[in-house]
Amino acid sequence: MFTEVFIVGLSLGAIYALIAIGYSMVYGILKLMNFAHGDVYAFGSFICYMLLVEYNLNPILSIIIAMLVGGLLASIVEILAYRPLRGLEYRNISMISALGVAYIIQNTSENFWSRQVHFFPSIISTPFISIFGIQVPTTQYLTLGIVILVVVGLNLFLKYHKVGKAILCASQDIPASSLMGIPINRTISIVYLLGGMLGVIGGVLYASSYNVLSISMGFSGTIVAFEASVFGGIGSINGALLGALILGLLHSLVGFYISTAYRDVITFAILIIVLLVRPKGILGRYVEEKV
Amino acid sequence: MKKNKNIIVIILAVALSFLLPSFVKNYYWLGIFNLLLIYSILCLSLNLIFGFTGLLSVGHAAFYGIGAYTTAILLTRCHFPFFPSLILSGLIAVFFGFFLSMSTSRVRGDYFTVITIVFGEIFRLIMQNWVNFSGGAMGVVGIPAPQFFSWRIISEKDFYFLGLILFWFTYITLSLLVKSKFGRAFIAIREDELAASTMGINTVMYKILSFSIGCFYAGLAGSYYAVYNTAIAPSSFTLDESCLMIIMVVLGGIGNLSATIPGVIVMLVATEVFRPLYHYRLLLIGLIMVIVLVRYPYGILGIFNKIASMRKKYSYRKV
Repeated sequence: MFTEVFIVGLSLGAIYALIAIGYSMVYGILKLMNFAHGDVYAFGSFICYMLLVEYNLNPILSIIIAMLVGGLLASIVEILAYRPLRGLEYRNISMISALGVAYIIQNTSENFWSRQVHFFPSIISTPFISIFGIQVPTTQYLTLGIVILVVVGLNLFLKYHKVGKAILCASQDIPASSLMGIPINRTISIVYLLGGMLGVIGGVLYASSYNVLSISMGFSGTIVAFEASVFGGIGSINGALLGALILGLLHSLVGFYISTAYRDVITFAILIIVLLVRPKGILGRYVEEKV
Repeated sequence: MKKNKNIIVIILAVALSFLLPSFVKNYYWLGIFNLLLIYSILCLSLNLIFGFTGLLSVGHAAFYGIGAYTTAILLTRCHFPFFPSLILSGLIAVFFGFFLSMSTSRVRGDYFTVITIVFGEIFRLIMQNWVNFSGGAMGVVGIPAPQFFSWRIISEKDFYFLGLILFWFTYITLSLLVKSKFGRAFIAIREDELAASTMGINTVMYKILSFSIGCFYAGLAGSYYAVYNTAIAPSSFTLDESCLMIIMVVLGGIGNLSATIPGVIVMLVATEVFRPLYHYRLLLIGLIMVIVLVRYPYGILGIFNKIASMRKKYSYRKV
């Protein structure tokens, strides 16, 4: 039984990774906790649900449209609500603005799709697959595969593509990179676009492997993204991946062996302990403080 | 001269607020005033933590809840008198606040915020699941009316006076605190922690102090809420509640105690006005927040300052 729980946890962690990576990238550049991240991906997942169920569109096509919608929504939010507040002394204020945006998106999607839990159809038809005698739903393997592809692709993009390099530069020093001729505003919009798109993939994969979709997923997604990126070291993509995998494993193991009711309490307690022992997270870099 | 003027203004405000129930007889409005008092106490104490010391705590509702649960359990199960349980609620909130801020004193900035969020969630989940202790999701019901010697606090008006006493206690003690040496140390930490520590300010000690003091008032507000509402449930102390408090503080203007109250009023009035538009309430509140912040990042106080600066041709003073 342990192996099954382990694999389920790993694929849950992989989904969390998709949600956390976008969140962590935004943090890496702007040092902004994007409270609206979860609601953006929930909105995108609902778009996918609408296209799949009400318009009977092809799953691949509807995921792509939903990704675009989510990404565009994230960058529009950035332009309207975060950009005007960027130069301020207290960057906490843009967090509050993000909170306002989270309310707006949540309420809008609530009015469109109501608060109840929706049934989300599975995207793949063969429900179970047996490898070495371990019975695990196919979606779990598919999720793992997609996440590996996305993370490898993202790493290559950041390392070799011009825009990716610009993102890395901006995350080190915004004024210096703008002096070097990097279009900061455009780069930040692209980061939000990427983050929103990755989040929507994560949301759709979650919804299709557990067959549920609800508005409250948005806020819990934000919390999961917080936790995962803090576990791994906020601001780094591989850290977010590692943190998300650990979080997924913890959620499924604690939920299975100890108690579902106290699952979150136990993972939160572990998070606090990790932060106290290693305040920068597992893979976080230590940055020297300057006056 | 200016100091005397301030004292006169405060005395007038105190007198006016105590006379208010003789003009307003409507229970609906008195109920709103009571809510206003609760949130004002909470936001004033959050302003000390967030506005003055710069520690963004998104778990203030947990300390509010700790106070409420302490009073509720003491009054219903141990049949404690109200006044000692009010103090005890504050002290237990301080105990948790001290514990939390001490253990996280080495953790910086945003990580601290994450820990407070997580702490709030842990509190809510434990209260929801530990049915024997806290009554689970149903919470504690039938909290008896408090009694001070012969003053039995039962009507909306009595609660208004009790809340007012707590509010003025909070306001006056906090304004004295932020004007003292401690307040200056808090502001120095907010402006630049490293610079403050090189100036000889014990930043760890002051951060713990600020956080614990803030938690004390939150505990008092929770205790008041428990007896006022006669029933409490974990759903009143969620993350949303903590976010609402932060919004009120920021809308008012961070780092200014008097500005907190207009922030609370605006948010509560917005909630009441938009009640008929129930389905779009959060949408409108979110819109107000974003628009106000984008136009006036320093809150409602920023608007006043801007008007003042236009009139007097002063430069725009940042708060």
